[in-house]
Amino acid sequence: MKVGLFIPCYVNAVFPEVGVASYKLLDHLGVEVDYPMDQTCCGQSMANGGFEDKAVPLAKKFDQLFEKYDYVVAPSASCVAFVKENYPRLLKKEDHLCQTSGKIYDICEFLHDVLKVDRLPGKFPHKVSVHNSCHGVRELHLSSASELNIPKYSKVKDLLSLVEGVEVLEPQKVDECCGFGGMFSVEESAISSCMGEDKVKNHIATGAEYITGADSSCLMHMEGVVDRQKLPIKFIHVVEILAAGL
Amino acid sequence: MSTKHTKAAERFLSDKQQETWHNETLWFVREKRDRMAFSLPEWEDLREMANKIKMHTITHLDKYLDQFSEKAEANGVIVHWAKDAAEHNQIVLDILHGLNAKKMVKSKSMLTEECHLNDFLISHGIDVIESDLGERILQLKGEMPSHIVLPAIHLKRQQVGELFEDKLHTEKGNSDPTYLTRAARQHLRNEFLTADVGMTGCNFGVAETGDVVVCTNEGNADMGTSMPKVHIVSMGLEKIVPTVQSLGVFTRLLARSATGQPSTTYTSHFRKPVDGGQMHYIIVDNGRSDILGNKEHIQTLKCIRCGACMNTCPVYRRSGGFSYTYFIPGPIGINLGMLRHPKEYSDNVSACSLCYSCNNVCPVKIDLADQIYRWRQNLDSYGKADPLKKTMSAGLKFLFERPGLYNFALKFAPLVNHMPHFMVYNGLNEWGKGRELPRFAKESFTSMWKSGKVKPKK
Amino acid sequence: MSNKKDILYSLQRNISERYDMPDIDLLEGIVYPDPLEKFIEVSKAVGGDALVLKPEEDINEFIKTHYPEAKTIASNLREIEVATFNPDEVEDPHSLNGTDLAIVQGEIGVAENGCVWIPQNVKHKGIYFIAEYLVIVLDKTKVVNNMHEAYRQINFGEKGFGVFISGPSKTADIEQALVVGAHGAKGVTVILK
Repeated sequence: MKVGLFIPCYVNAVFPEVGVASYKLLDHLGVEVDYPMDQTCCGQSMANGGFEDKAVPLAKKFDQLFEKYDYVVAPSASCVAFVKENYPRLLKKEDHLCQTSGKIYDICEFLHDVLKVDRLPGKFPHKVSVHNSCHGVRELHLSSASELNIPKYSKVKDLLSLVEGVEVLEPQKVDECCGFGGMFSVEESAISSCMGEDKVKNHIATGAEYITGADSSCLMHMEGVVDRQKLPIKFIHVVEILAAGL
Repeated sequence: MSTKHTKAAERFLSDKQQETWHNETLWFVREKRDRMAFSLPEWEDLREMANKIKMHTITHLDKYLDQFSEKAEANGVIVHWAKDAAEHNQIVLDILHGLNAKKMVKSKSMLTEECHLNDFLISHGIDVIESDLGERILQLKGEMPSHIVLPAIHLKRQQVGELFEDKLHTEKGNSDPTYLTRAARQHLRNEFLTADVGMTGCNFGVAETGDVVVCTNEGNADMGTSMPKVHIVSMGLEKIVPTVQSLGVFTRLLARSATGQPSTTYTSHFRKPVDGGQMHYIIVDNGRSDILGNKEHIQTLKCIRCGACMNTCPVYRRSGGFSYTYFIPGPIGINLGMLRHPKEYSDNVSACSLCYSCNNVCPVKIDLADQIYRWRQNLDSYGKADPLKKTMSAGLKFLFERPGLYNFALKFAPLVNHMPHFMVYNGLNEWGKGRELPRFAKESFTSMWKSGKVKPKK
Repeated sequence: MSNKKDILYSLQRNISERYDMPDIDLLEGIVYPDPLEKFIEVSKAVGGDALVLKPEEDINEFIKTHYPEAKTIASNLREIEVATFNPDEVEDPHSLNGTDLAIVQGEIGVAENGCVWIPQNVKHKGIYFIAEYLVIVLDKTKVVNNMHEAYRQINFGEKGFGVFISGPSKTADIEQALVVGAHGAKGVTVILK
């Protein structure tokens, strides 16, 4: 099984340790991992901002770069959701048949559904509050959305339960948006900041030491709030916990 | 980089106490809705059924409206057809003039808001009385509704108390909701008894029977149609359901989604005029048939106006109904405003973080967030795209299309961390108003990979 | 003014794809182990009341005990001897104003939401709404599980009006504070016999 690792632009620049943890985890689980060098960005931020056409050449490039792998895996639910949901339609504009949308996975999804991981070696003796990101929940279905009357589940919590010592908590308003939303965070900065503050408060109220989740973009947004207000909580991507000790 | 919504939202947020109350109160309604949804094992099947019935009905509206109007006429109802708001308003006025009517009581109707009916009638000397308590408060105050189901949600009890002191001569300083509601009951009872005509909106029109169904908690639609002998129904043409049996699907969903009640107090089915009276249906298009031809937005025609999308919307809850420029706010309002007039109402398209919660609460499964995403793609063609966002997107595209340049940028990005604070957190930096900027890592993942630093611990 | 033909034509012109009608009978509505018990529970939850009249209890005594202050009592039901007038004998519905209590017949109770179906069975429908308090008499064997079952059974009657009533009139339009008795009945009791 050959996996192409996709490290989204902001993870690459701001959270490279998340990329490293992803690689170590996949390698530990016996997966052959390759990192195609010419990758850049999936184009989501432009598209969500209203400039989907600007994402089309990026989509084509992405698809060509990753089509040779059995799976494409990325530590970012939101970027994965964008590729999965929008690439086939975007690439149609270029008469290009999308190859990657069917085989791209968020890393949690990949570990849970494809590798069906049932043990992990690490320990993480801390209390964490899980951030259920909008696109992770409502597009990739990493957990049951709070609005829907369907059986409750959470792939992220299932995976975390494999790590020794971790105490998993969830905030009130369990999957309310943190207010990032790409360009929304600058266009509607007042509302976005308010949403971020409210979300962080709910996470802090759980008594957790860390906020963790499958989307670095949400974590980055909330970290901005926490840094500004000097609030007592830290951030860690869920992959870093899953890769503890590797 | 701001829209009218952005600026209005900032004003709303400046009263933190009010914003918190608004946000939490509507969230409480969302939670009540959740409890109702979770009390029915078939909830998701019900939503899917409602979606399918609506898609079928709106794509057979020609057939069903024909059937509906024929049934209604056979039942003794006078059916009128209006292509737009002006025709609708004129029809109402003509009916009133024909009866020599001076006073009309009406129940809540988003369609009459859409048509600006009240102003029109008042300018022609008709006394129009809104009878839903929230709508009456707003009418007395000279304001618009800020929510389609909870129209006065932006007001505090003290404001209502002061208003009633002035208009209804209630006790000074008494803002107890029960006291104020009783005062309104007495005041409006008199209006019901002296009105010449009662008007209602329409929640559902049943094609196979010609019935009109109106749902209220207060009983105002019933009071307004029980005392006067004439009942005028103002209905959007998308309100049709095919059968009585399909009506059951929607009456089960409506109140549960709207307010978290198992049913509205009154679900009234009108079929015939009262003895010796008249009943009129005004079936209104006003742009709806055009929406039917718009593949990207046809689903808005499924809307049953429950307001659930507003209650769950994290942006609506924190910015209030008046921050939107269209009279219907929230996710459905963003879409309906754009369908009404894209250039005029494009300011609302920014009011969405694309969290998709609205899609999940919608009882008829309208793809609300997907539609907002689509509108954003079109803003540029209306000349309404934000220039800064456009520049940013073009810049990002330029960068991301060039892996070499991207890697070069990654290498030097950490320098931003060392820029003086005033350069990074200036007026141009919207992010920096409420948040610190992320700090770039010393070395990017790409660079680490290239130099062989990404390795398993052996 | 526009006519039906114009508008129907405009619709036809815009319809590009026609969707099929789903089979509603495939939808399974909720079923309760004891619909009557659920009906009573929900009636209370929506601010009303519902109770089963015991065989030895007299409905007139019950009403006198529960509504001691009611002076003008409307009913067209033969068994209601405490009625002070028969609303069917009132010419003008406006004269119904000032009714303290109305006792009317319901046809179907719905367990899932506490609704009672009342096809207009009085001269003026206004009596259902204008009375300060409302008592609905209902056959306890006529309680169904859900609205699908109810809609399969309802009849409309000659008057061309029917209403589901679930509890008293209410509003929360002032600060979302629930107030019972907006325009209609301030209290509703369903007497199940």
